[in-house]
Amino acid sequence: MFIGLDVGGTYTDAVLMDGRKITKKTKVPTDNDNLFDSLLNALDPLLEAVKGKNLERIVLSTTLITNLIATKNVDPTALVIIPGPGLNPSTYDYKVPHTFLLSGAIDYRGREIDPLDEQEIKTCAQKIKEAGLKRAVVVGKFSQRNKKHEEKVASYLQEEIPGIRVAMGHQVTGRLNFPRRVFTSLLTIATQERFRTFYSEVLKLLEQRGISAPLYILKADGGTISFDLSAKKPVETIFSGPAASTLGGLALTPKGETTVVVDIGGTTTDLALILSGEPLLASRGAHIDDKLTHVRAFATSSAAVGGDSCLQVQDGLLQIMPYRKGAAYCLGGTHPTPTDAMRVTGITDIGDEKQAVKAMELLGKDLGIGPQKAAEHVLEKTVQRIAGEIEAMFIAWEQEPAYRIWELQQRKKIRPQNLVGIGAASPALLPLLGKEMGCSALTPPDADVANAIGAALAKTNLRLTFHFDTQRNFYFIEETGVQEKLTDIDSLADAESFSMRRLKEEGERIGISAKEEPELVYSELFNMVRGWRRGGRLIDVCVQFPTGIIEYLEEGDA
Amino acid sequence: MERKTGLVFFPAFDWAISPTHPEREERLLYTRDQLFEEGIMDLPQISEYKPRMATHKDIARAHFCVPDVATQITEAHLFAVGGALVLADALMNKEITNGFALVRPPGHHAMRVAHGNRGFCNINNEAIMIEYLRQKYDLNKVVIVDTDVHHGDGTQDMFYHDPDVLFISFHQDGRTLYPGSGFCDELGGPNAFGMNINIPLQPNTTDEGIHYVLENLVLPIIEDFKPDLVVNSAGQDNHYTDPLANMRFTAHGYASLNEKLNPDLAVLEGGYAIETALPYVNTGIILAMAGLDYSWVREPEYRPEDFYETKDRMDYTKKLVSYLWEVWKNREELGAEKYPRNGDFLELSRHIYYDTDSIREQQYEDIRLCDDCPGYQVIRSRGMYPYGSSKLIEAIGIHPRACKSCQEEARKLYEEKKKDYQGVDVIYLQDKVQDRYFQYSKDGDVEVTDEQQTTR
Ligand SMILES: [Zn+2]
Ligand SMILES: [Zn+2]
Ligand SMILES: [Zn+2]
Repeated sequence: MFIGLDVGGTYTDAVLMDGRKITKKTKVPTDNDNLFDSLLNALDPLLEAVKGKNLERIVLSTTLITNLIATKNVDPTALVIIPGPGLNPSTYDYKVPHTFLLSGAIDYRGREIDPLDEQEIKTCAQKIKEAGLKRAVVVGKFSQRNKKHEEKVASYLQEEIPGIRVAMGHQVTGRLNFPRRVFTSLLTIATQERFRTFYSEVLKLLEQRGISAPLYILKADGGTISFDLSAKKPVETIFSGPAASTLGGLALTPKGETTVVVDIGGTTTDLALILSGEPLLASRGAHIDDKLTHVRAFATSSAAVGGDSCLQVQDGLLQIMPYRKGAAYCLGGTHPTPTDAMRVTGITDIGDEKQAVKAMELLGKDLGIGPQKAAEHVLEKTVQRIAGEIEAMFIAWEQEPAYRIWELQQRKKIRPQNLVGIGAASPALLPLLGKEMGCSALTPPDADVANAIGAALAKTNLRLTFHFDTQRNFYFIEETGVQEKLTDIDSLADAESFSMRRLKEEGERIGISAKEEPELVYSELFNMVRGWRRGGRLIDVCVQFPTGIIEYLEEGDA
Repeated sequence: MERKTGLVFFPAFDWAISPTHPEREERLLYTRDQLFEEGIMDLPQISEYKPRMATHKDIARAHFCVPDVATQITEAHLFAVGGALVLADALMNKEITNGFALVRPPGHHAMRVAHGNRGFCNINNEAIMIEYLRQKYDLNKVVIVDTDVHHGDGTQDMFYHDPDVLFISFHQDGRTLYPGSGFCDELGGPNAFGMNINIPLQPNTTDEGIHYVLENLVLPIIEDFKPDLVVNSAGQDNHYTDPLANMRFTAHGYASLNEKLNPDLAVLEGGYAIETALPYVNTGIILAMAGLDYSWVREPEYRPEDFYETKDRMDYTKKLVSYLWEVWKNREELGAEKYPRNGDFLELSRHIYYDTDSIREQQYEDIRLCDDCPGYQVIRSRGMYPYGSSKLIEAIGIHPRACKSCQEEARKLYEEKKKDYQGVDVIYLQDKVQDRYFQYSKDGDVEVTDEQQTTR
């Protein structure tokens, strides 16, 4: 049996699942000052129910990392960058007061262009020491293709400054994009320690309850990772909430179809896309706290409209404001909201009907229509706003740049077959939205705990992107920071089978079942031609155990 | 509007002329690595666009493709030129301040009549873009500055009889480099004399020499001409490490050239130092166009002391510049001298060689001389293909500003030619006034449309 636990901003949900069946579910309000209590309030009833049975794993999705970053009072960190030629490094403001620039450069093939300057490193170490900093991040341009400079600087700092913790860019991420590598490395070092504290507290609580089932956490890309491994790069678990709801949506919809997961909340509607059964990942890393990172995450979007959105009339036109002003009128508030409109048209029975009518009368007066008409108008506008955002997401996906002919040709216009609604206001509004968009609207009975379902059912995923350079005889792996010498690889087939082998080894290490099928995401070979002859080959191979859910819920199972 | 530079990056990683050809998959690989590692696409000053597929009609506006458009192109061509068209639209819709189409395959050696591939080019990206802009938007005068080391002979041919498009190319002297043309006396046809300026430079010319040309000739001419649009036909093979040429231009030189020229649109042309030049030159050009600091961009082995102009070379460059400035100023008188108006037509003939596809072409042009308008041209061209086969075509091209009587004359001529096409494989009518393009062959009369996007 699995337990899925989602500690969200408002509610904490948990489900206990036996295969595809939900055996028990809980939902408690989240106390943001005491997350552990909320967690236990949701978890304990399930632990009771699972007593004496085989609990295989617990998967947690949480906004914790988001909170850690939001609090911002992290210990000061030194940033040491080795930018080499190109963009003036001051073009990006990393907002780190103690930033040091070192000379030295590596090129796109991993060759050293300029050596490091020992004197500069010395001076830099001296200044970090004087400032009393206990953490440093060292990032070089193209360090993922040659880690030599980063390692040399890091080990010097460690020698000179006792007790300093140093993160190196190439270990955090090997994807191209130096500024994002800097930001991601900074976030990594900023969250590591607190995440460890959180982790050991959770372990202690579970131990007290005699639970020995392995604990996993959900990453932003929808894969689970064992709790201890996640402590290395906690930043990957940011946005695990949206990932959980996307996967929950996936679990609640027909296999292989194109679906939009619609989560209508108080003032926002969160959206995620499932294209032909596969949740869509953003082509670039996530935006965290105004910073662009390398964190892989689902492509999500949000429309500034929800059940509690404040409604106004300006110049005779209805405006849905992006904020709330207290509760809905029918629930004792002072401003008309879509919730009131839903009550008036009878698609919900939440709140006081008379008050709801009154709210719509207020609005209707300024619009020159009666309360019934006003309510219909509100719902029409609300639905159009959400539909517009969904359309924009599909267009953004179609318009994503691509660099190969086949990629450009395969990106055909598609539109959703289903909407799946999760979140409080969804069951009422979704049928209207489905009608507007011409697709079927699904509001499954367990949608209220969709996030917990998504967490419970998420697979452990693993993606490895290999880059082989047969002329310089080395390869590296983007995701792990491995840079090693290469032998016996010349063809695409060699590279693919090498990558597959490494993926399976690594998969075994992190607990991916041998039954899982690894897949080749893409592979590409470039012949290097020098003077009209072949000089070597550059081969890129990406392999993965994909993101997905363990088992699909079937209708009537819940 | 805040300043934005539009970028289309279409490296066509799955397209090559042949596996070891300079125009192969690998060409923009290291440029990709450099641009992506710099985080260029994330900059608030940059908007990245996805290329679209150009249509056959887009191509027929500029070319007479033999025997038809589909034969002359691959998908890569449609996306490369489509990338330029996307930026052209974005510019006109004021989404961007300027734009750079970093696309391949290139196009500046492709001429009006396209029998095959010349100098790695099948279709002319800049010409197609300009014809598109003229049809879709209100645009009269355009300047193209060809900054490729090779003479942009295709683009020259495209607009040789067009007084609305000023073509300026600086390049390594044609006596020392492909395509062997681009001399000072190729100044434009009778309807557009002085609208074609070639600046053949001596081998080994450095940043200093090229910037002298830019500041003392190119920029003053542009200022004088007052164009609605400036296009950079942005080759990068003037670079000192380019394997196909012998100039001494640097990444910094290219960046500052773009800062001074300030083109509205730039389209990548040649440049085959794929490791030592392209990553740095492209980064420099993008930063310069986006108004960002490019002083940190430099090649790994760059040593300033290796770059200097000799007195001889500088003297040559200065003489050339002052000669061409005189030509520009006196273009009207000089044109009247070279092409005295007698009769309604002027006949020109020439021979064109297609290096990549080993095609020889014999071409006769009848230039309509009209006192009221830029008229039309009638081209008769025979392409002699390898292994002895050949194709003969006749093509009529009407200028967008042709007067009523020229238009009617040209259209009537097409109808007459259709009636008597013995021995001619294809007859074309390129009607840029009505934006309609026809071709007639044994398959009948066919209009080329926007619906067609297929390749052979
Ligand atoms: Zn040129
Ligand atoms: Zn060239
Ligand atoms: Zn006329």
